[in-house]
Amino acid sequence: MKKLSAVLALCVVGVAMTACGSGSSGSGDKVHLTFWTHTHPPMIALNKKLIAEYEKAHPNVTIDYQQIPNTDFNTKMLTSLSNGSGPDVINMDDVALRGDYIPKRLLAPMDSAAQTAAEGRYLPNTLDGAKGPDGKVYGLPTEFNATAFAINKAAFKKAGLDPADPPKTWDDVAADGKKLIAAGQGGFNFLYLSAGQYTQQLQILLNETGGRIVSDDGKKATIDQPLGVQALELWNTLVNKDKLGDPHTASHDATAPFADFEAGKTSMTVMYPWGVGQIAQDNPKTYKNMEVVPLPQVDPSKPNGRWYGYYMAVNKASKHQAEAWKFIDYVTSQNQRWLTDVNFIQPVKDWSSSPAAAKVPFLKVWEQAYQQGRFDEVAPHWAEVQDAIKTAIESTVLDGKPAGSTLKQAADTINQSLSE
Amino acid sequence: MTTLNVRASAHRKIIGAVFAVPALALFGLFAVYPMVRVFYISLFDYDLTSPPHWVGFANYGFLWHSEQFHQSLEATGFYLLFTYVPAVLLALLLALGLDTKLPGSGFIRLLYFAPVAMSWVAISVIWRLLFQPDGLLNQVLGTHTPWLTSAKSAEWALVIASVWKETGLFLILFLAGLSRIPRELREAASLDGAGAFRSFRYITLPLLKPMTAVVCVMAVIRGCQSFSPQVVLTGGSFKTQVVNLYVYKTAFENARMGRASAVAVLLFFALLMVTMLQLRLFRSGER
Repeated sequence: MKKLSAVLALCVVGVAMTACGSGSSGSGDKVHLTFWTHTHPPMIALNKKLIAEYEKAHPNVTIDYQQIPNTDFNTKMLTSLSNGSGPDVINMDDVALRGDYIPKRLLAPMDSAAQTAAEGRYLPNTLDGAKGPDGKVYGLPTEFNATAFAINKAAFKKAGLDPADPPKTWDDVAADGKKLIAAGQGGFNFLYLSAGQYTQQLQILLNETGGRIVSDDGKKATIDQPLGVQALELWNTLVNKDKLGDPHTASHDATAPFADFEAGKTSMTVMYPWGVGQIAQDNPKTYKNMEVVPLPQVDPSKPNGRWYGYYMAVNKASKHQAEAWKFIDYVTSQNQRWLTDVNFIQPVKDWSSSPAAAKVPFLKVWEQAYQQGRFDEVAPHWAEVQDAIKTAIESTVLDGKPAGSTLKQAADTINQSLSE
Repeated sequence: MTTLNVRASAHRKIIGAVFAVPALALFGLFAVYPMVRVFYISLFDYDLTSPPHWVGFANYGFLWHSEQFHQSLEATGFYLLFTYVPAVLLALLLALGLDTKLPGSGFIRLLYFAPVAMSWVAISVIWRLLFQPDGLLNQVLGTHTPWLTSAKSAEWALVIASVWKETGLFLILFLAGLSRIPRELREAASLDGAGAFRSFRYITLPLLKPMTAVVCVMAVIRGCQSFSPQVVLTGGSFKTQVVNLYVYKTAFENARMGRASAVAVLLFFALLMVTMLQLRLFRSGER
């Protein structure tokens, strides 16, 4: 009987140890992590280096790194999470995090001690992009973008414009754009890509006019209010009335958002820190002629911009959450290399005074842009909201319908989504 | 029939049934079960990541009032009518012209069939280049039409590309139907003084009826199930979001699996009814 009891006891201990092993990774346990990001070649290259370093330092850990095309990212992520095959570590933009993944409780929050440490490390409010309504932080930023403007200095000179006196308002953009076009140079245009990108660009203008897509409580569409209509009319005026660019001939290739600027079809474009790195890599000649300046404003006395970021987060269904957070900690701690290798700014305190930051092109402009931004709005069923916004912009800018009526239609569609 | 023969026949039937089991099992698993499952899910609010929540027929009720769903029905109707009616008529005309044994006719048939053998995505990419504002089509026509970026032209761009792609399929089917009509009948009619039109009207067309029924049923099904050209050419913008694309976006971009399933169920029954109606119409003409 004693022997039987001893065997049973050993079995219980064995089962308990196995259970512990599946929930955490001790230093000797084999851990296999999967890690998904969108596609951005310079980022992928650095991620691969960091993974190799991490695996070398942690021989028990292997990391399967997959890149998903931006257009398929959300679909693939949602379907994989629904059947339990999702990755352990996700690199996701803040709109998707706050709009979908955090409300649906798909992510594991940081523990409170780690959150306190992170909040001490990053600039105020910059972790809000990954913060839930419960006040918990669900991710750490790999890149944090503010909005600025790029001009082609060579084109400006050919048009008799002074690149040292760049446009400060959208009226200036219109005036300079007309001179550029008259001189045979490219003018200005927005991007005509996915529903998300349409909405993001409109949010840049909405931030400046003071318009909102939905009310603060997220229950009612407000995009058809005068300040919202003003934002879309500004877009339409620049493109169609001032004729700074042809939306029908603009590049529709989502993999090359700066193709028109690089090809000289436009001499002015909205710019993000990562875009500078991409242009430097893709088209050194354009990079040489490029100057990044502050984003033009509707009212320069009340400057405003748009913030957005990508955050590394942990799948709530992951069996290796602790190891996943350790890996994230390592990747995000390399903020100097993210600056030098990829031009990704991570909003850690004093980032701009670091040795790596000194080499960041147009540092002063980015520093200023980080002072005056706000994250995009989100609300339930945000993909449907973005679709409605896209339809409104296309109807106005590409089909010539009045902004008031297309935004009214968008508001009706949004209200239907929000009411469910 | 002797007892021995009866036993042998029963034995053969059992063996046959046993051999059919694997195929039936696969059909049940991958065709019947998903269809039943789609109908079941259409009664739930299900976002892929949370447990399904029973809503009864609320998804169907929503669709009844949904402007976007109605627009997708209009887009599908437009596409079906203006793509497949011309494509079928054109295919019939071409088949009548190519139903000959002249040298080179086989090669010409092959040329017409080539687009059918290519994937929709590849063809859409090619047409996307042709439809660019500075693309070949505008150069040839001497126009500046924004084919893919305007509600005035995007629907027609899809029609043009689709007629080009789909005509070949119906052409081959009509040629197969024509090859089964004995030439003697038309020769006899010709000897009796019937002209080409009367010969077509009273001999070819009636005898081609079974194949015409197949072509019409296929045209309606293909038209209603169109998806790839809309995705590649317009992304569903400018009034080109057909029902299948609406299903895809509702399911995988907006994570409303129940609502998307409800649309799929409605589409299934609509196709079933239209197909049965078509077959009945063709059969009634035979009596």
